[in-house]
Amino acid sequence: MLLEVRDLHVEFHTRDGVAKAVNGVDYGVDAGETLAVLGESGSGKSVTAQTIMGILDVPPGRITAGEILFEGRDLLKLKEDERRKVRGAEMAMIFQDALSSLNPVLTVGDQLGEMFTVHRGMSRKDARAKAVELMDRVRIPAAKERVKQYPHQFSGGMRQRIMIAMAMALEPKLIIADEPTTALDVTVQAQVMDLLAELQRELHMGLILITHDLGVVADVADKIAVMYAGRIVETAPVHDIYKAPAHPYTRGLLESIPRLDQKGQELYAIKGLPPNLTRIPPGCAFHPRCPMAQDVCRTDVPPLYDVTESDAERGSACHFWRECLHG
Amino acid sequence: MAETTEPILEVRGLVKHYPLTSGILFKKQVGAVKAVDGVDFELARGETLGIVGESGCGKSTVAKMLVNLEKPTAGEIRYKGEDITRLSGRALKTVRRNIQMVFQDPYTSLNPRMTVGDIIGEAYDIHPEVAPKGDRRRRVQELLDVVGLNPEYINRYPHQFSGGQRQRIGIARGLALRPEIIVADEPVSALDVSVQAQVINLMGRLQDEFDLSYIFIAHDLSIVRHISDRVGVMYLGRIVETGRDAEIYDHPTHPYTQALLSAVPVPDPEAREHRERIILSGDVPSPTNIPSGCRFRTRCWKARERCALEVPALAVPAEFRSVSGPAAHDSACHFAEEKQVVPPEGEGEGEGEGRGGGSGPG
Repeated sequence: MLLEVRDLHVEFHTRDGVAKAVNGVDYGVDAGETLAVLGESGSGKSVTAQTIMGILDVPPGRITAGEILFEGRDLLKLKEDERRKVRGAEMAMIFQDALSSLNPVLTVGDQLGEMFTVHRGMSRKDARAKAVELMDRVRIPAAKERVKQYPHQFSGGMRQRIMIAMAMALEPKLIIADEPTTALDVTVQAQVMDLLAELQRELHMGLILITHDLGVVADVADKIAVMYAGRIVETAPVHDIYKAPAHPYTRGLLESIPRLDQKGQELYAIKGLPPNLTRIPPGCAFHPRCPMAQDVCRTDVPPLYDVTESDAERGSACHFWRECLHG
Repeated sequence: MAETTEPILEVRGLVKHYPLTSGILFKKQVGAVKAVDGVDFELARGETLGIVGESGCGKSTVAKMLVNLEKPTAGEIRYKGEDITRLSGRALKTVRRNIQMVFQDPYTSLNPRMTVGDIIGEAYDIHPEVAPKGDRRRRVQELLDVVGLNPEYINRYPHQFSGGQRQRIGIARGLALRPEIIVADEPVSALDVSVQAQVINLMGRLQDEFDLSYIFIAHDLSIVRHISDRVGVMYLGRIVETGRDAEIYDHPTHPYTQALLSAVPVPDPEAREHRERIILSGDVPSPTNIPSGCRFRTRCWKARERCALEVPALAVPAEFRSVSGPAAHDSACHFAEEKQVVPPEGEGEGEGEGRGGGSGPG
C-alpha cells in the first residue's frame, strides 16, 4: 500500500469547545488507484487530507492519535525538514480554488519554476524551460507566451490546469485533489477530470479525490470512503456502493440526488442537519437522522463491520448493515 | 397546457449591455459587455421554467432584470400583458410585489444585524397594504412554519441558522408578499447534497400550495430537470435551445446542449464505460467580443462556413418541422440533429412515445 492512514484523530480548539473533526479514520490507497473520499461539509474529509499533506494549522488543530504510513514510513513522526522533502516531491495537493491558491503577484512561470529551483536546485533558466514543458503537458495553448502571464489572466479551467501542472511537476507518487472541479462549469469540469485521469495513468500515481459530488465519484473512482462526522461510515469498491449501499447515510445520499435521466416528484431527503462537531451525538453519530435507528444506535458506537460479500473488501459502520444491504 | 392561456410573464428581445468606457474626463464608450443579448421566453401560470447555462452566460442578469434590479438596455418584460420595464412609481411597486426573488447565497443575502422577523417582515414596511401593523408578527410566524422552521425562532439572527435553514428564511422572505412569480437564482447550489433535497422538495410543495410560477436558474442540469416543466439553455447571452424537459434532456438537438448534458457526471459507475462524452475544446468567448454568426461556433465540432455568416434563429429547425415528436422544439442551430446523450434508464420507465423513433433527418 502506497499510503495508509490508521486510526487518525484530529481536533480543533474553538471558543465553543473542542471540535472533533476526525475521529478514527482508516483508509489506504495503492499506486495507480483512485480513492474517492465522499462527504458533506464538516465531515472531516479535507482535514484528513491536510493532515496527510502536513499542512494542518497547529494550533488550533491538534493530532491526538493515529499514524500516516507513506511507503511504510510514519509521516507524523518525521521532523519538519524531512516532511518538507516529502511534500511536493513525493505527494502533492490540488486545491479547489485555483485563484486563491496561486500567488497573484508572480507569473505562473515563476510559480511553476519554483518547484524545480527549490526542490531540484535547477537554474532559473532551466526551471523556466521546465515550466513551459509542464504547461504544454496540461494542454495550455501557447505555453511559451503564457508562461509570462499572471494567474488573473487565465480562465478558471486554465488556472486549475496550472494547479495540476504544479502538482505533477516533480512526478509525485500520490496526488490529493480536494474538490478539484467544484468551482468549474460542467463542460470545463469534464476537461479537467479527463486530464487528471490521463496523467494519473501515465505516471501511475495514487489519487485521493475529495469531493461531495456523487457523479464525479462514479466517473473516476476505483473505491470510495464515505465520511460522516469525522468517521468513515462506509467503504467499498465503486460499483458495489452504487448498486447496494450498506449504510443508511450512503443510501440517503444516493437517493437524495436528482438524476439527469429521470424526473421524480418528491426527492428523498435525509431529515435534519449534520451534527455540530463540538457535540457529536453519542452512539452512532448519524442516529438522529437515520430512518433505521434503534436503541442500540443511541448508545453503542458501531465499528466498521466487515461486510465483504464477494471478493472485494467492504466495510460499513452500521449496526444494521445487513438490513440496509438487503432491505 | 401552457399555450392556451395567456402567459403570466412574457419576455421579448431582452438585452442588457454594460458599456465599457475609456478616459477619465471625456468618457467614451469603447465597447460593451453583452451580458444578455436578445432573450425571449414566456412563463405560464403555475409553471416552472428552468434556465441553465454556464457561468457568464447571462442567466443571473436575466433574473435581475425580471425583478427590476437591473434596467434592460432593450426589450420587453410583460407581466400579464403589461410591459414592466416602462413602469415607474406606484404602478411599478405593485408589480414588484408580485415578482419576488430568492438569492443564491444564503450567507450574504440576509442582513446579519437584523432578526429573522425583521428580515421577513421588512417587506410589509414597503407594502403595508399586505399586512396591517398588528398582524405582522403573526404573519411572519406563519411563514416560518410554512417553510419548515420553528415559529419561535422569530427573534433569532441569521448566524444562528445553518445554510439550509437560511435558505428557508430567504424563501419565506420571498413568499411574504404573496407573489405570483418567484425568480430563484441558484437557490440550492451553496447547500450540501442532503440539504439540497430538502429545499427542492420545499419549493415544490410551496408551488402547489400558493399557486406559484417559478423561474428557476441553475447550472446544475439534474436539479433543473427535476423541478422544471420547461427548460431554456443559455449560451453567451442567448437562449440556444428551449422545450419541455423531456424534449431537452432526452432529445436535444443543439450541439451545445448535447455537450453540456454529456459532460454532467452521472452517479452510476456502470454508465462510465458505455457513455459517449462530448468534450468541448476551449473556453466560453468573452461577452465583449461575441463571435459572428452562431455564437457557439468557436467551440462547436459541427461548425461550417454558414455558421460564421448567419445567426441561427431560435425556432424549430427545418428538418424537424414536418415531424411531430419530441425533437421538434426550438433550437438555434443551422445543423440541428437529434442525439441522445443521457443514457435512458436501465429498465424501462420509458415515459410515453418515441424514445427511439424519429431519430433525426433521413
